[in-house]
Amino acid sequence: MVLITPTMILMIMAYALTVDLEHIPIAVLDQSRTKISRMFIQQITAGDDLDLFAQVGSIDEIELMLVRGEVKAAIILAPDFSNQVLSMRGMPMQVIIDGTEPESGNFAVDHIGQRVERFIRDVMSDRMQALGIPEQALLPIDLRVRAWYNPGLEPRVDMIPGLISMVLGFPALSVALALAHEREHGTLEQLMVSPIGRADLLIGKMIPYIIVGMANVVLMPILAMLWFDIPFNGSFPLFLVLSAFFLFGILSMGIIIGVFMRTQAAAMAVSFLLIFFPGFFLTGIFFPIASMPEIMRMEAIFLPGTHYALITRGLFLTAVGMDVLWPYAVMLVGLGILFTGVAALFFKKRLG
Amino acid sequence: MLFGGALELVLVGWATSRPITNLPLMVLDHDRSQESRRFIVDLENTGTFALEPMVTNVETIEQALLRGEINAALVIPPDFSEDFSSAAQQPTLAVILNGAESIPALTAQRAIEGVAQEWGDRLAVSRIGMDPDAMEGFLPSLRVWFNEALNEAYYTTPAELGLMLEFTVLIFAALSFSRERELGTLEQLLVMPFSSLEIIIGKAIPVMIIGLFDFALMLALTHLFFGVPVRGSLTLLFLLATGYVLVELSKGLVISVMVKTQHQAFLMVMLIGMVDFMFTGYAAPVESMPQVVRFISNFIPAYHWLEIVRGILLKASGLAVLWPHVMALAIIGVVIVTFSIRFVRRTLQ
Repeated sequence: MVLITPTMILMIMAYALTVDLEHIPIAVLDQSRTKISRMFIQQITAGDDLDLFAQVGSIDEIELMLVRGEVKAAIILAPDFSNQVLSMRGMPMQVIIDGTEPESGNFAVDHIGQRVERFIRDVMSDRMQALGIPEQALLPIDLRVRAWYNPGLEPRVDMIPGLISMVLGFPALSVALALAHEREHGTLEQLMVSPIGRADLLIGKMIPYIIVGMANVVLMPILAMLWFDIPFNGSFPLFLVLSAFFLFGILSMGIIIGVFMRTQAAAMAVSFLLIFFPGFFLTGIFFPIASMPEIMRMEAIFLPGTHYALITRGLFLTAVGMDVLWPYAVMLVGLGILFTGVAALFFKKRLG
Repeated sequence: MLFGGALELVLVGWATSRPITNLPLMVLDHDRSQESRRFIVDLENTGTFALEPMVTNVETIEQALLRGEINAALVIPPDFSEDFSSAAQQPTLAVILNGAESIPALTAQRAIEGVAQEWGDRLAVSRIGMDPDAMEGFLPSLRVWFNEALNEAYYTTPAELGLMLEFTVLIFAALSFSRERELGTLEQLLVMPFSSLEIIIGKAIPVMIIGLFDFALMLALTHLFFGVPVRGSLTLLFLLATGYVLVELSKGLVISVMVKTQHQAFLMVMLIGMVDFMFTGYAAPVESMPQVVRFISNFIPAYHWLEIVRGILLKASGLAVLWPHVMALAIIGVVIVTFSIRFVRRTLQ
């Protein structure tokens, strides 16, 4: 189990991310009750994106549904809705969204907005014909949006490569625990009296975990490609080499923790706080580093996962080579040497 | 773990509970007119973008995208302002997004679409000779409930807090017996004149206290640092927190006697914790997940717990609204706690 923990966790996480937002439940309060308002409601809920959960009679019912989380948004059409629309004065309506679930809320607002836009244009085109203005004068700005490397902008396509950097942190947790385990059982002292150098000893401790990590490095792209249909456009050998660099960097973090902590329990807590939690939230997988405060951006630079997430996305999706990726590779090796060096320096002192 | 966890929560919350801003945007302006410059200024004013220096050819954009240096690029064609001032031409803009980072890409797309729509509306109004103010009536008024200022911390921190609490309780509980077994002290404990139930309770109480203290501390911090409100009953929240901690604690104890080493205990906790995290709504709303996953969510304590936390903190919900989740949590709780006590007792004997 220890062997394939990273791959298993990637699998689980990937499922959480293969979510397409659709069928967002909304409630409608139609105070106008006319043919036009009914037509409008029909247009809004015609697609797969918004589902009419209920047509209600009062705002209290809307409140209850929002509190219960049964609907994520609600539309209230004012009593004079039809009159205003017919006389081209406006569309008196209110949209309410649940601010605790911004994803569904924003989604509902966007999609309601699109329908409103279309409805207005339909209504307006009558007036245009009367004025003799050509139809295309009312077309919106033609925004031609293309997304490179992930045409559908599907989150899973870039999340799964990004998450590889998080789940490959698990061998580092293991190495921290293994070192602390030896401390706890007093077997590390025996090694210390042997004539092996301190840094050599620590690197020796890493090797089994690098092997375990590499097994996952081979497994994960296969899983991503075959099961989740994610492309792998870059060079696979380069991916293997850079993944080994990453494992060196992240395992060095684990080694530092193992050297400083006296018990496994402490090593667990600290590696959870220094490797796992930041690896998840601060390496730019979910939240862009560019939007973080200055100090946290600095911290992100010291996390091997930050650089590796750029490498995995680069190799899976953008298919770049060493000419683009070398700074990240240098950072990974540099961090590895730095962390291992610090660990080796304090190793003897902590044991004595 | 306790104070470290709380501190970490503040750090992570601070770094990530903010709108997505500062996304590098590259503009290639073939038009170089007043209109195109104004459009760029409007984009900048959304606050979403950090404008890169103007470029003069598409190759620069392609290179920057390839290197992942920008999240979005805008190409303004030479006839943009001309189409704009004409009577019936449709102005065109080209946008290229870096799909290798879908979250910033979607944010960028939303911001650009917003500005383009505003411009399109203004253009349409002027073309039919309507009074621009009359257009106001066509804009739906938008209200956001429970989170009027759209404060990101309101929805990110409860999930982060939930994750931290679950892991803390699970780790401490999972270590309780596995540590003794590994260090060989479990036998000593078992020959003492305590019944196995007493031993279990003795192990559970400290974890219970740690869990609740951790929860109180983290709640206070999110309230102080991020202004996350407590709109409902604090008593109810702590009452239910006690129940939730008890459930997670029981899971931890089962892990604790199942595994042989602390190392295995830790990995089990990580695996279970990550599965549960899926259901906290951090990455994607549970309601939008596939039918099967939504069905499974009914059996996950963390899912009901997060619904309860969000309900009490943000929606001022009471038992009248939350009872389905409370009931579910209670049923799961009774099952897990009973199973855990019987299982742990049997293993200890």
